[in-house]
Amino acid sequence: MAINNVLGIIFSNANDEAVPELTSLRTMGSVPFAGRYRLIDFPLSNMVNAGITKVGVITNSNYRSLMDHIGNGNPWDLARKRDGLTILPPFNAPSAGIFSGKAEALYGSIGYISDSGKDYVLLADCNIVCNIDFEDMLKYAQSKNADMVFACAYGLPSRLPDSVEYLADENGRITEAKYVGYYDKEVLYSLKTMLVKRTLLERLLHEANAKRISALEDIVINNTGNIGMYCYKQEGYVKTIESIGSYYDISLDLLRPEVRKSLFNPERPIYTKTGDRTPAIYGINARANNSLVADGCKIEGEVENCILFRGVKIGKGAKVTNSIIMQNTVIGENAKIDCVITDKDVTIKQGKTLCGASNYPVYIGKGIVI
Amino acid sequence: MARKTECIAMLLAGGQGSRLGILTKNIAKPAVPYGGKYRIIDFPLSNCVNSGIYTVGVLTQYQPLELNDYIGNGEPWDLDRANGGVHILSPYQQIKGTEWYKGTANAIYQNINFIERYDPEYVLILSGDHIYKMDYAKMLDYHKQKNADCTIAMLEVPWEEASRFGLMIVNDDGSISEFEEKPKNPRSNKASMGVYIFNWKKLRKYLTEDEANENSGNDFGHDVIPAMHSNGERMFAYQFDGYWKDVGTINSLWDANLDLLNPNVDLDLDDDSWKIYSKSPAAPPHFAGKNAQIENSMINEGCDIQGNIDFSVLFANVTVEEGANVKYSIVMPGTTIKKGATVQYSIVAENAVIEEGAVVGASPEDMQNIDDWGVAVIGHGVTIGKGGSVPPKAMIDEDIGGDR
Repeated sequence: MAINNVLGIIFSNANDEAVPELTSLRTMGSVPFAGRYRLIDFPLSNMVNAGITKVGVITNSNYRSLMDHIGNGNPWDLARKRDGLTILPPFNAPSAGIFSGKAEALYGSIGYISDSGKDYVLLADCNIVCNIDFEDMLKYAQSKNADMVFACAYGLPSRLPDSVEYLADENGRITEAKYVGYYDKEVLYSLKTMLVKRTLLERLLHEANAKRISALEDIVINNTGNIGMYCYKQEGYVKTIESIGSYYDISLDLLRPEVRKSLFNPERPIYTKTGDRTPAIYGINARANNSLVADGCKIEGEVENCILFRGVKIGKGAKVTNSIIMQNTVIGENAKIDCVITDKDVTIKQGKTLCGASNYPVYIGKGIVI
Repeated sequence: MARKTECIAMLLAGGQGSRLGILTKNIAKPAVPYGGKYRIIDFPLSNCVNSGIYTVGVLTQYQPLELNDYIGNGEPWDLDRANGGVHILSPYQQIKGTEWYKGTANAIYQNINFIERYDPEYVLILSGDHIYKMDYAKMLDYHKQKNADCTIAMLEVPWEEASRFGLMIVNDDGSISEFEEKPKNPRSNKASMGVYIFNWKKLRKYLTEDEANENSGNDFGHDVIPAMHSNGERMFAYQFDGYWKDVGTINSLWDANLDLLNPNVDLDLDDDSWKIYSKSPAAPPHFAGKNAQIENSMINEGCDIQGNIDFSVLFANVTVEEGANVKYSIVMPGTTIKKGATVQYSIVAENAVIEEGAVVGASPEDMQNIDDWGVAVIGHGVTIGKGGSVPPKAMIDEDIGGDR
């Protein structure tokens, strides 16, 4: 069976509340990441790289920036007549148009899911940063004749309310699934990415709707043992964005070569919308060390341990360290910035000093002038 | 049937660009990389769409594979359209036989059927040889205002360089009184940019006559334009001010790249109102390493820089290892420069490997005889072995071993 017999579903709003700063004006999927990407680029590219040709993106609220970013899906080769990309806004929702859980959101799109005719559905969230081989995951599911396969990793689980841990036997079959109780113990935890047989998913969604269960995790936990559930262990770099602090740490992880190698595997590239900017320009006396610098940047000052997004300008004599500087931010001459996250279009005027701490970065909202 | 279109563009992209040597061994000149992420053809294509011209025929002949692949359906330039869009026009078999494009005018002649589909009033003729940002819509307005049959874009060049160009002597009203092709003693410094607007009906007549003339070289500059001029057609010069560079030689290609690093040069490629579009690779932002020193340079996505870069333009996915020095050089996509290697005053083509300690090119200041100096060129996929050395002005097309 070919991988294009899999329907991809991405939840663009899942865990929005974990990073309220970054998601006040956007979805989790459209949170800028790694200098030129949005978080949704990772699950979307992972799916496309595995050969999936039909992807639905479930949105709940604040999805204008997401629509602007993914457009017709062309950067991911998903602008297609047969299959392709579909945005699935709230539809047929019982109250006020906003979903309260993923199961409810899926139920709202159950027509789309069943009309796809695909054998499997692959469900993924946006706040998991990894480059995962979904083709291999499907092969694993087929070899186990599994009803459901969960991508998971061993280590400290995320501190999110929907964080789930598993116990599995030596064949990889899940014997128990439960919400994480203790966050400080290493466990086999869920990457909130699951592959499930479509007809089974439809049946479970109808049941959940009848019982008014809105969380997808509850369906899974309630059915452990009844259904052939397996775990697919993801090796390599994988992290969950669960707070602004973890967003900061994960961003700075990109400065490590082994992390970049794992995330930006040339065999499975991460695609994104292009900005048609010039390559980054360094001026006289510019200095950049241990930093990731995107196109359209103009650096005339000093930068160290930073992620610079597209079109960032660093003025003469400015010193920017340990910071995440998002698109089109302007750092004025002789400004000093340390441990700061600036959202898009921020201006730090010349000579200003702004310092956070590495365990508590300062966040500057979109468009703010300091 | 295609919808009637007021003005369509025909882009002559079939040239070999033989003066670029090994850089155009496998690709046509318009496909030569420029400016860290572009190819030369991005400039006329982007100028067209920014000027509101959405129907472009691209005439290819020499080594078209990479160019065709690059242009694809035209999506990077918004030229994937239901009406118009970009069309690759290669020579084709006809009932009376098969002919290559014999000259620039013949190339257009062979595609009269393509042009007629759009029933245009005007045809804009462009070449894929120059770096410039130009609003063709303004030139078209001028053409209409002058009620011209042919308008030629010109710019004033320094007098000492004028003898290298096709020149025009222009009357006060903008009409052209005389042409001079690369004269020894120029009487004008108004050079033709190789950008023409013709009234299509007029041009079609002259192309047909030119084709019937067995003595003609079927070239715009040598045959068609002089014929129109001697018949007293209304020919005007349209003055262009701004950056314009022919990148037909190794030195001019090198210069034009380094111009991007000079803040005094009037060529802003990050101007939101006149973007130059190109096909972007899927690569992460570039990484500046712990000990990297990067100054006065342009670095594109996917690069991994651990060494020292000064006055250079690096395309996507170039790796520069620790202790390597790159200065006054252009390094094209996918090339690796290993530990302690030096690349200076050079153009290194795609996917080349400069092994540890190798030295490519030399500074003009280090030359005993300045006539021996020139930009060194390393060809596509070439490996310069460990400790190997490439003299200035050399063009290296095959692997060079290192210590022997």
